[in-house]
Amino acid sequence: MNCPSCQAALAPGARFCENCGAQLDAAAAPAPVAAVSADHPLGDAPISAPTRKPAAALPDPPAPAGRRACTECGGEVGPDLYCLECGTKAPSERDHFREQPAPWVAGVCDKAIGKNRNEDAMALLAGAEPGSRAVLIVMDGVSNSIDSDVASLAGARAAREVLRMPLPVGMGTPESRDAAVRKVLTDAAAAANTAIVAVTDPDSPNPASATFTAAVLEGRRITWANIGDSRSYWLPDAGTPVQLTVDDSVAQAQIAAGVAREVAETGPQAHAITKWLGRDSEDQKPTVGALEVDGSGWLLACSDGLWNYASEPEALAAQVRAAATSDPLALALALVAFANGSGGHDNVTAAVARVDLTPSAVPPPPPPPPVVGQNDQTPTPGGEPSDG
Amino acid sequence: MAEFSAAVYQNEFLPDGGTDVNAIVTITCKGAGTAGQSGAGSAGEIIIVDTSGSMGPATMAAAKEGAQAALAEIVDGTYFAVIAGADRAMLAYPQVSSGPGMVQMDARTRLEASAAIDRFVGSGGTAISTWLDLAGQLFSSVGAVTQRHVLLLTDGENRERPGRLDEAINRATGYFQADCRGAGTDWQVAEIRRIAQALLGTVDIIPSPAEMKAQFQEIMRNAMARGVADASLRVWTPQGAEVLFVRQVSPTVEDLTHRRTPVNPLTGDYPTGAWSDESRDYHVAVRVPAKAIGQEQLAARVQLALGSDVVAQGLVKATWSNNSELTTRIDQQVAHYTGQAELAQAIQEGLAAKAAGDEATATTKLGRAVQLAAETGNEEATSKLRKVVDVDNEETGTVRLKRAVEKADEMALDTASTKTTRIRKEPTA
Repeated sequence: MNCPSCQAALAPGARFCENCGAQLDAAAAPAPVAAVSADHPLGDAPISAPTRKPAAALPDPPAPAGRRACTECGGEVGPDLYCLECGTKAPSERDHFREQPAPWVAGVCDKAIGKNRNEDAMALLAGAEPGSRAVLIVMDGVSNSIDSDVASLAGARAAREVLRMPLPVGMGTPESRDAAVRKVLTDAAAAANTAIVAVTDPDSPNPASATFTAAVLEGRRITWANIGDSRSYWLPDAGTPVQLTVDDSVAQAQIAAGVAREVAETGPQAHAITKWLGRDSEDQKPTVGALEVDGSGWLLACSDGLWNYASEPEALAAQVRAAATSDPLALALALVAFANGSGGHDNVTAAVARVDLTPSAVPPPPPPPPVVGQNDQTPTPGGEPSDG
Repeated sequence: MAEFSAAVYQNEFLPDGGTDVNAIVTITCKGAGTAGQSGAGSAGEIIIVDTSGSMGPATMAAAKEGAQAALAEIVDGTYFAVIAGADRAMLAYPQVSSGPGMVQMDARTRLEASAAIDRFVGSGGTAISTWLDLAGQLFSSVGAVTQRHVLLLTDGENRERPGRLDEAINRATGYFQADCRGAGTDWQVAEIRRIAQALLGTVDIIPSPAEMKAQFQEIMRNAMARGVADASLRVWTPQGAEVLFVRQVSPTVEDLTHRRTPVNPLTGDYPTGAWSDESRDYHVAVRVPAKAIGQEQLAARVQLALGSDVVAQGLVKATWSNNSELTTRIDQQVAHYTGQAELAQAIQEGLAAKAAGDEATATTKLGRAVQLAAETGNEEATSKLRKVVDVDNEETGTVRLKRAVEKADEMALDTASTKTTRIRKEPTA
């Protein structure tokens, strides 16, 4: 055994180097693992998520405590699940549920007034520290497939398991980091797909299928993945709001071919999607992208039940401003109420995370590459897909 | 321990803009036990026999026999008393002038009461208000009695200044129940029905003395089977809704709408009295503000309450739909009982018009009654109507008033007018 400092030979059991005087207690152990850098929100995570420290895993959102107040009048809901004041039927937990994993992250998943059941699903995670780490997963069960309400929820929760640990940072190069992140998000979509297939009757003539959108906020970096036409948006308090994801839909293809968004999204094929998860899915690889934010704002993941009534990022940002709240649950409820107030023709899900970038609260940004994906650029509204 | 259950029959689907929700709520009681045996208090029975001068010897003899048969049905341990009613009420048994005016039934008191009944002699007039008031005083003289029931027999019209009887009925309402019977044909159906309806009891005619004993036995047997002393139909309606009516529709039609006691701003209690093992139907109609297509809401919670305890609940719902196949359907039960309620009204109004000499109205109303009785399959009403009118065409309700009608037949039609039939098949034993 040699001294780690001067390489001089050491006597067995020596506590100091006879040659240079170095203390040998610590050095006797193998070379220390590089310390987690305090100013880097992601630390130096290895590629493989399961090797991460268990303490870094985000806990599930707390279960709802007791019966929620009436959605119509705020009155108490009776044991028969009708409001004791106005008689409105309280929705089942599947028809209307909320998650608030931390005070700065919340989502509402609602059947909407025009539908008979809620095929949307949502699964959220967040760290206690505001702005630390949040996972927003929204899936929209395809309404003409069987049991897509069961499937979408199973899928969202399976994907949540995969994203419970921080995203990997790779081996130090932008390329390795992109590949590692892409692998995790692709795994999340695959886990969702496996869960959907698992709850699908093998004999089903019309197997359940669903869209998939996941948005992960880590510090000031947003990473997203998408299959189908659920969406993620970045809605800054100041500056230009952007749609992060790009739909896999007939309407999107038409837009890409030059048809006006308004026309394409209201046409007969507006809601036909070209990619989905489920037993009959042909491609379960999500489109993946990332964005480094430079100001405060809201990260939003939603289903088409919301964006049907405000597709342009600016229109959604206007609804956020109209809600005039800094409480994420109040904002999610306001967005769902806006969709219902606009007709509520489809299940509606809105999940939001608040990003507050004040100079003192946020550590200096790390220097990772801005975008994960083949198209190494920051997306613009309706921008190019970063095809996975 | 009595068990209650509730079942709701309705079409919950309303068209766009629809506001009125109708439902039949069936409340069923099982395991009621025996009156006064639940441990919640004792039962009290008072038998009131008309001993005015109008009671003929045959009627009086039958009344005595009937009252004695009723005594035999009263379960030992039940508090009881016997009142002889004329132009004032006399406590025939127990013969006390102060202190508790009722005694507990046993072999000795039954014999003594029988002997007291044997000594009845007809004389004087008819002042029914005094009979009811004395019954109330007797019940209140025994604190242990919490379930109070009166069996009242009269043979004549009340001879008091107008209003006095109604005042006595008001004093008794909510305090005791009364089943009333009229002997012969010299009494007024409307008058006695007023007593019975207010006091949650039945009214019927005993046309011949020979039927007296069986009727008395049956009334008392039923009274003793009511092991649940007092229950209320509790109706909750949502904020902004209006209760159009609450009506018992089976076994008889009794409008309860105006007998609501508020429990809180959204809830009211309607009296139903004591319960035996039986099933009763209630028609509840509620007007709610219209909601959007696809919305579902509760229009009423219909409950049975024993004091403050809710023991059964039925939910009346409203769902707005644009499917006319759903919204135009009328629930069979609602339709049936709507017809039965109209039948009762048509018979009563027809007979009243006939008594007032308005033959045109009488013919129209009784014709409509014949039509409704046929449509709703009420055979008892049909056969009783046919004793009063000649039917040319049942379907169109074309009838002629019979020239010669037995008074007793007309009264029997009148007293039976509120009796309804059911359409559901009862489980066969």
